Amino acid sequence: MIVEKYVVNTCIIDNNPVYVYGFKKIINLKGLSNHITHFSNGNEAIMHLKNPVNANNLPDVIFLDISMPVMDGWEFMKEYAEIKSQLGKKISIYMISSSIDASDIDRAKKIPDVIDYIFKPVDVNKLKEIFNSLRGISPAVS
Amino acid sequence: MAFSEDSGLHLAQIVDNINSGIWEYNINTRVIKWSVGFCIILGYEADEIECSYHLFFEQLLYHEDKLVFLNALNDQAPAKPIQIRLLTKSSGYHWFESTIKKHDDETGQVIYGSIININQYKQAELQCTHNDLLHAQTISIAKLGSWEVDAVTLDLTMSKQIYDIYELQNEIPLTLEEAISFFEPPYRDQIQNAVNNALEFCQPYDLELLFRTAKNNVIWVRAKGVPILNDYGKCITVRGIFQDIDNNKRKGLSLESSLNLLTDQNRRLQNFAYIVSHNLRSHTGNLQFMVNLYNETELIADRDEIFAHIKSISASLNATIENLNEIVKIQTEITNERSIIDFETLFVNIQSAIKSNIEARNAYIEYDFSQCPQINYIPAYMESILQNLLTNALKYSHPDREPVIKCYTLKERNHIYLIFEDNGIGIDLERYGNKIFGMYKTFHQNPDAKGIGLFITRNQVEALGGTIKVESAVNIGTKFTIRLT
Repeated sequence: MIVEKYVVNTCIIDNNPVYVYGFKKIINLKGLSNHITHFSNGNEAIMHLKNPVNANNLPDVIFLDISMPVMDGWEFMKEYAEIKSQLGKKISIYMISSSIDASDIDRAKKIPDVIDYIFKPVDVNKLKEIFNSLRGISPAVS
Repeated sequence: MAFSEDSGLHLAQIVDNINSGIWEYNINTRVIKWSVGFCIILGYEADEIECSYHLFFEQLLYHEDKLVFLNALNDQAPAKPIQIRLLTKSSGYHWFESTIKKHDDETGQVIYGSIININQYKQAELQCTHNDLLHAQTISIAKLGSWEVDAVTLDLTMSKQIYDIYELQNEIPLTLEEAISFFEPPYRDQIQNAVNNALEFCQPYDLELLFRTAKNNVIWVRAKGVPILNDYGKCITVRGIFQDIDNNKRKGLSLESSLNLLTDQNRRLQNFAYIVSHNLRSHTGNLQFMVNLYNETELIADRDEIFAHIKSISASLNATIENLNEIVKIQTEITNERSIIDFETLFVNIQSAIKSNIEARNAYIEYDFSQCPQINYIPAYMESILQNLLTNALKYSHPDREPVIKCYTLKERNHIYLIFEDNGIGIDLERYGNKIFGMYKTFHQNPDAKGIGLFITRNQVEALGGTIKVESAVNIGTKFTIRLT
């Protein structure tokens, strides 16, 4: 078993309850993180990040869906770009979508704050890889 | 008389060598005489042909020209020169022109004349006539005329073909203003400006315009004008063509409109294909996710939970397929028969069908279809449009007030409009724009929102050639304006 240096604070922004359930479950089952917050649209997440009460409890990683009501993934990234300098923490953002549209993929890759674009349903090994890299462990070790 | 004898011979020599012939014919004795030159211009040696009226009339003279010749002989008035064809020795019939003079002597009436070969001129003349005919036929087939405007006097001259296009019987001169008044009102300024620009700024033009002929036929014409400059660069004349292009233009326009229709349908089809793949993918993705998860856990409680989710995915998948089916139905129903629909009857029916929904929200619904009580439409579409918009207005009613929904029709020019107004929560159009007519686009956290209703409404309206527009203000309300026909 890997000795955890610290708990990875994980955030998922997605409006699909089934997917959110599955995502949380797999992370729990694999012991990847025991701290998961969930927002069902971009606006809720922005409110949370901006709120000074949460300043010491910001996520290390965000898994962001694209298609959501109220504020979608693209709009969230725009807002995030404006507030990130005030957050005092580097957050790794992955966009996760079932869209295989090339224009969506291109668009995501052009956003500097987005580390990667991942297709739904997310692969367990891919998730492990991401969490390992967040903990500073090279993929080869896992 | 030696002198006279000598000069007579000399004269005869000259006459024989000037490439023209002299002839004389006595009507009474039927004796004919001709000079050596007559034989020569026909290509014969002096004595090679017998000098006889019979030979001339039956062998040399072209049969179609016999009447011309006989008429000239019998004509009492001083005869004009005649043009006839005579058979030459080696190059077929040639055209000749002969003068005809008459005088009487003791033996009777004598006719004489001089004859020359005019074949070359005649051929050129015939060619010229033929060319003129071809030219006239070409421009008549092309429905093309030419015109000219004097830059100083503004006098207009037009060719006959233009009068034909104008369908004016007589070629009465038209002023520039009168000529322009035949163009349809929306195009008059355009042609007037083009002519002005050509006259003042030497700008050529080439326009396609709608035109009303004297017989009230509306046709497309092409009007092209080119300024002609003097040495000082000033326009002295505008010269141009005027062409009836109605056939081609109308074909072009109908082609263009089918192209637009096809492009539009193609866009919708592509959008549909994208939607299908996207929405089915999200369900199948979740399904796969749950199945993987099922394998990852051994706990009965977890597995029960996962199975419950699989059931819910199965239900959503089913709903999505039903929605897609509804969209496909729009395309198949488009060929259904239209019938006269009474707005009020249909609207009252729909209200009673969703009565509980209306009562639950305590909504006040008013309608006024007096401006246009009926419409010829596909009944299934109209029912779906009214029901979708009504339930939409109820669904997005404002929590702080009772819904007031207005539905009415308007008739403007050739169009029938259906208007839906509510005082609901509204939508930020600057942000979402026309996305609200997209499939599975939901903008509020409303658990009932499925994002299919307005997509279907738009497809039904557009399938019958109409349009749907929305105006909205957040927290104030929304207004849908549908042009039905």
